[in-house]
Amino acid sequence: MNIHRASPVGDDWGEVRAELTRGFEMARAAALAEQSFVFVVHHDDLLGKRGAGNAMVATGLLSAARTAALEGVRKGWAANVLAYDDESDPKIVTEWAERLAVDSLGVTGEIIRTGSSHLGKALP
Amino acid sequence: MAGSGPFTVIGVDISPELGHGGESIIPVQVDLTTDDGVRQVASAVEAAKAPLVGLVNNAGITRDSRLVNMSDEDFGSVLEVNLGAAFRLSTAMADLMSDGGAIVNISSRSYLGNFGQFNYSMSKGALVGLTRAMAVSLAPHIRVNAVAPGLIDTEMTHQIPDEVLERAISNIPMARMGTPDEIANVVWFLLTPLSSYITGHVLVVGGGRSLS
Repeated sequence: MNIHRASPVGDDWGEVRAELTRGFEMARAAALAEQSFVFVVHHDDLLGKRGAGNAMVATGLLSAARTAALEGVRKGWAANVLAYDDESDPKIVTEWAERLAVDSLGVTGEIIRTGSSHLGKALP
Repeated sequence: MAGSGPFTVIGVDISPELGHGGESIIPVQVDLTTDDGVRQVASAVEAAKAPLVGLVNNAGITRDSRLVNMSDEDFGSVLEVNLGAAFRLSTAMADLMSDGGAIVNISSRSYLGNFGQFNYSMSKGALVGLTRAMAVSLAPHIRVNAVAPGLIDTEMTHQIPDEVLERAISNIPMARMGTPDEIANVVWFLLTPLSSYITGHVLVVGGGRSLS
């Protein structure tokens, strides 16, 4: 299954670039195999609450997934993002990630958010 | 911007022929993808002997292709120029910026997704993340926002084949490309006290394209 979970990074350009590159490499491999993929990110990072490095990684992966989703439409593969927070049940996060990676039931270019910390906040 | 009071603009990696109205422009030609380049900009700011009140991160390139065809080099170069440079410069300039200053990052409507621009979308999306994170960390002293332009009449878009351009414009409710001045007006708004209670925001300026 093509699931890339963003690793925490510092406010260091080298770390940010390396993490985004890992996401790119996974996505490209998935696209070449015409398979769906999922990026998993922490919701606080989408809002910039845990430092610039983590924020750049999370939002970069989200935008990239949206673009990949457009390219996967004709070939029948999907690209999505799963966001979790500190309250999310790890088993549910894993279940959602695997569901989206195997059969997203037509969902593509989307962000699925578990937990409740995203409620009432800016849309990513 | 002319007529808003005398101020000095340090223009980085742009044509030195700019300069009109009441402002003076100090051109600084550097490679923003290097720490040395950023240091040169910081030196120019310090040499100007005036408070640093604004920063606009506008450097950007495209290397478009479908994801399956995207090379490591095309991916990396877009990330370095569009994101790495803005990160380096913003971090350095934030230390020099006056209270009440503002940073504006030029993202792109592509951050919402655009076929053939995995690298560009990622870089412009990441810039949104940088905007939010710095808005949080620099508040309340410095505001940080982003502008996400759509299809704008620039040298970059002049490279697009006519039939492709016509098709793109047909999807825009405003039925035309935007102009550089229309983007500059929004940047100006976000730089000045006109937007004094706005931070961490992304303003999409695309003629309604995101709706169609």
